[in-house]
Amino acid sequence: MSPPTTARRTGTGTGTMVLIALVAVGMVVGIAAIFFWVPTANCLVPGVADGQPCFDARPDYIQHIFYMHVPIAYVAYLAFGVVLVGSLAYLKTGRRRWDLLAHASAEIGVLFTGLCLLTGMLWGRPRWGTFWTWDETLTLTFVLFLIYVGYLLFRGLAADPTRGARIAAVIGIFGFVDVPLVHFSMVWWRTLHPAEVVINPAGPQLPASELITMLFLLVVYTGLYVALMLLRTRLGRAEEALAEAEAALEERPPPRAHVAATP
Amino acid sequence: MFLLAAKDLRSEARAKEIAPPMVLFGLILVFLFTLNFPPGAGQAPVPGPVVGAVGSRELAGAFLWVSLLFAGILGFGRNASTEREGNRIEGLLLAPVDPAALFAGKALANFCYLWTLEAVLLPVFVLFFGVPAGLLLPGILLVALVANVGLAAAGTLFGAASQYVRARELVMPLLLFPVIIPLVLGAERLTSSLLTGGGLGSQSRWFILMGAFDLAIVAIGAVAFEFIVNE
Repeated sequence: MSPPTTARRTGTGTGTMVLIALVAVGMVVGIAAIFFWVPTANCLVPGVADGQPCFDARPDYIQHIFYMHVPIAYVAYLAFGVVLVGSLAYLKTGRRRWDLLAHASAEIGVLFTGLCLLTGMLWGRPRWGTFWTWDETLTLTFVLFLIYVGYLLFRGLAADPTRGARIAAVIGIFGFVDVPLVHFSMVWWRTLHPAEVVINPAGPQLPASELITMLFLLVVYTGLYVALMLLRTRLGRAEEALAEAEAALEERPPPRAHVAATP
Repeated sequence: MFLLAAKDLRSEARAKEIAPPMVLFGLILVFLFTLNFPPGAGQAPVPGPVVGAVGSRELAGAFLWVSLLFAGILGFGRNASTEREGNRIEGLLLAPVDPAALFAGKALANFCYLWTLEAVLLPVFVLFFGVPAGLLLPGILLVALVANVGLAAAGTLFGAASQYVRARELVMPLLLFPVIIPLVLGAERLTSSLLTGGGLGSQSRWFILMGAFDLAIVAIGAVAFEFIVNE
């Protein structure tokens, strides 16, 4: 057996390191913009002008979590979109790299969906008076989280790796049915969840400084996603190389040192 | 496809190992839920539009669907594992049959089991909860029809998928439940709307959602079944 070619690139490359550094700088700049540039107290409620308090007399600092919450939600959509693409490509071509991509993306997607729920709750507590409410958008987001946790669980329990990967791909494709449901629940039902303000038929419903901050963080978070993906797929390749090496080791006859040890 | 469904139903008619336990389990669940239900609450007038208050009748709709779902999953699991035992699925795959037809046949059998279950559970539900049958009757059949299509298809797909992992019985509900929540949620809302006298017209959006979900689940199942069962 030839040495596994996958072992060649298991170290962290320069490109990834640069990307991580850029994401770190971008995150600091983004947070600075959130705290010092964007006007406080634009609470996205129609009829409330910028700079005016939202519901009570205090400035509405809580609203600023929006600049984190929305990019996180978009990255979660993106990650599950990549799971869909990777799963479809894997079923079509049967190449391991697509499966690796889908698996890595599902993990990151679960992470970001969890963060999305968390940031939403932190906002919901002061604004709605409760961490959680059974509103359609929230319910469906939680369901999305459960579906992909189930996907990861299935990957861990599959008896036969090849068949397991194939079935996981089917689940990955299937789970994506819920993503448009989450998104359109904000549009269809007039739920407690604030409506979509960025992609709006009437154009972005945000002042320039807020839109720029939001879009900037969207780019930063996408960069974070790509960086995490690079690291995770690299880890996946390393895991696979290790499994191959272990399998090769088992096939070999026992080493001679064993014989020498006996008197 | 009809032949395959007929094969499943015929062997079930002989063995009687899916439908009776499924129905019995459903009955037990409905009974357990009634224990927590105040007597006569089903007949009580619907409470006013108090924010946060949930009427007993709205809860009754949820109880019905949760019972149906839990009992249904027993049937799906059984129906899928009969094919694995003795590698019967291999024989079916050797036959010149399109895997999509195989999927449709199994799904059709599950669809029939669900109707059997509902045929028993619905009258019992009306009796136990004391809800007015007149409000429920024509509409619930339509709701059940739309829900059953998706449930049967998803149950077939995930039933087959969970045959190939460790801890089979555990994994199937974990995979199936989250995926079909939109469907069950819709069925629940529509049933509650029927029970509170709201009719189905006001909730037509749920019908569109459930219909779209059915289409997606059947289409994906028909295409993807091949990847699950093939070696």
